[in-house]
Amino acid sequence: MNTLDPRIKRLSLDPSTEVEKTNSHLITYEVFHQEKRGKHVTHVGIVHASNPEMALVMAKEVFGRRGKTTNLWVVKTSDVYTFGSDDEDMFETTPEKTFRDPAYYKVRDRIEKFQNKQKFEHEQRT
Amino acid sequence: MYGSTNLSEEEAKRMNTTVEDPEKLEAFESRIARGEKIEPQDWMPVEYSKQLIRMIEQHAHSEIVGALPEGTWITRAPNFRRKLALIAKVQDEIGHGQLLYSAAETLGKTREEMLNDLLSGKSKYSNVFNYPALTWADIAVIGFLVDGAAIVNQVINSKGSYGPYCRALERICYEESFHLKQGHDNVVYLATGTKHQRAILQDAINRWYRPLLHFFGPPDKQSAHSEKLMKWKVKLASNDDMRNQFLDQYVPKIWELDITFPDPNLKKNDDGIWEFSDPDWNEFKRVINGDGPCNAERIAVRKFAEEAGRWVRQALMNPSEKYVVPLA
Amino acid sequence: MSNALKDLLYKMADDALIIGHRNSEWTGIGPMLEEDLAFSSMAQDKIGHAQALYKILNEVLGEADADTLAFKREEKQFKCCHFVEQPIGEYDFSIVRQFLFDHAELIRYDILTQSSFQPLAQLAKKVKGEIKYHVMHADTFVKQLGNGTEESKARIQSSLNYAWHLALGIFEKSEFENDLIAENIFVGEDELKKRWLEKIIPVMESANLKVPATDEIKIVYGGRKGFHSEYLKPLLDEMCEVVRTDIDAEW
Ligand SMILES: [Fe+2]
Ligand SMILES: [Fe+2]
Repeated sequence: MNTLDPRIKRLSLDPSTEVEKTNSHLITYEVFHQEKRGKHVTHVGIVHASNPEMALVMAKEVFGRRGKTTNLWVVKTSDVYTFGSDDEDMFETTPEKTFRDPAYYKVRDRIEKFQNKQKFEHEQRT
Repeated sequence: MYGSTNLSEEEAKRMNTTVEDPEKLEAFESRIARGEKIEPQDWMPVEYSKQLIRMIEQHAHSEIVGALPEGTWITRAPNFRRKLALIAKVQDEIGHGQLLYSAAETLGKTREEMLNDLLSGKSKYSNVFNYPALTWADIAVIGFLVDGAAIVNQVINSKGSYGPYCRALERICYEESFHLKQGHDNVVYLATGTKHQRAILQDAINRWYRPLLHFFGPPDKQSAHSEKLMKWKVKLASNDDMRNQFLDQYVPKIWELDITFPDPNLKKNDDGIWEFSDPDWNEFKRVINGDGPCNAERIAVRKFAEEAGRWVRQALMNPSEKYVVPLA
Repeated sequence: MSNALKDLLYKMADDALIIGHRNSEWTGIGPMLEEDLAFSSMAQDKIGHAQALYKILNEVLGEADADTLAFKREEKQFKCCHFVEQPIGEYDFSIVRQFLFDHAELIRYDILTQSSFQPLAQLAKKVKGEIKYHVMHADTFVKQLGNGTEESKARIQSSLNYAWHLALGIFEKSEFENDLIAENIFVGEDELKKRWLEKIIPVMESANLKVPATDEIKIVYGGRKGFHSEYLKPLLDEMCEVVRTDIDAEW
């Protein structure tokens, strides 16, 4: 093959080779990344690998080659259970349950009203 | 463009005739209109998934084939800084392929099927990688301008509707900014260097000018459109708009180095639109259909990688483990 | 003493540069995408180690700067072993080479963390973790390929047999060996080789590989004294091709 790449030249390839179609697949592992101690471990993507050890070896360079990494987790894709997307309605009303939200509890107005009233009563008396 | 969304007439027709469940379609489209993303487990129109697979797959192929022209100079980079940057950059492109194949896999086509289609010629990759990297200056020009063009395309696509593709692109765009910076650095060193360095840079720019104009695909008035792909946020900007944005960002950065483009008509008009001579769209078609200077080599090298690596992958295969579609 | 130190640093740096250069030849054409990335990162690490070692030579021992040392020396000035000069071959050879070479590197750097020569001890502490990963990678592959298909087993075993006497050339002693030991700079190549065998033999066994028999006469020496295989000269010519087009230019 007439190539400008000295690496390729050394491989002495034959462009007429017939490639076999690949029909077998390695399984995939879902990869989770923790940037710093104390931080959440978040999903970042997948790697193809043969077993968990290999998946970790691969995940390190696919997802950990820049920035900071404290740890990586890998989980076989088929071991992950998720809700169906049809089940999203189960979560629909959750944001409305404001009694669980800190922001729902607003007493400042009430306190001020109370203080004004007290002040008024005090002034009346004196 | 990395993943082309230009349709053949036949495809454009099919896009408009495939019948989908109107209720589901309505929910799907209004989700996109609200600016929400589509996730792999969601219902989606057949054509949406088909076009996305095609586009993401082509994008992925472009990354791994795109690693080859620059790979040409890996063993010859002239100092530690450039040697490390070039290896890391080419490595990133392979990493982009990894991320993009993974995103396409969530739509149900396996990486192996996609690679089979690349090698059989059934699936395409970006035309720009069918040109050779003749000198070290080509590495500078590819790193700065080809990656610059790619970034314009990828930043726009990252605003699309398919979650996994957007997530992959976010990561990719971050890495691309390193590619661009190191490419610019390399261009600037050559442009401000010796006579020889300036000469090889000018020569490389002259050769890459047309392929760069071709990068975004044929002019809008020549390409088949699909309103649907726009509505579904698979395609987000027109070829001409992206090309114009690219010229606007990068031409001045070459001119300021007293390097020229081989086109006396290249200029920006008062309305902000760049004008340029016809870059020979017949050549573009010729190259896309296999007749470029490096098409045969690119595919031959990918075939080699596939064949030479087969025994490794086979040895890793565990027949008791069944492949399932990745989650996200 | 500084001659002994220089000799040690040059051979370590040259080994790292040449094997990193060789392994970078796989970048973009590896056997699967994930492995392509992993192998490329490790090649970058090695080139980085070379650069750091040349930097010590430059800043502490008064030699030229790192780029000059890597890109502008003559073949006979290099002190790398023949093992790292060999072409990448097929993937089984590249993996076996990584396995044999990086186990030796990990032990060498581990020992050097205690070196009386502070700059080297500092560097060893810093990069030991990188090499630990290289060894983890190599062990994982050797075990899986050694226990894989008939083809992979045969390939790994035959590459191991081919690589064995080249790998033993890593431990070729220089004329300064006794000085390095006496000054507590390094424990010496014999000790390194002993510990290396203790590490690699159990891995080979768990990979169902036969440990090749050692024939002292076949061990490939020469590199540490500047006598190289037929592969180094063309490698350097290629590596320096761009630099030589305009020798004084800044790239
Ligand atoms: Fe990329
Ligand atoms: Fe890039």
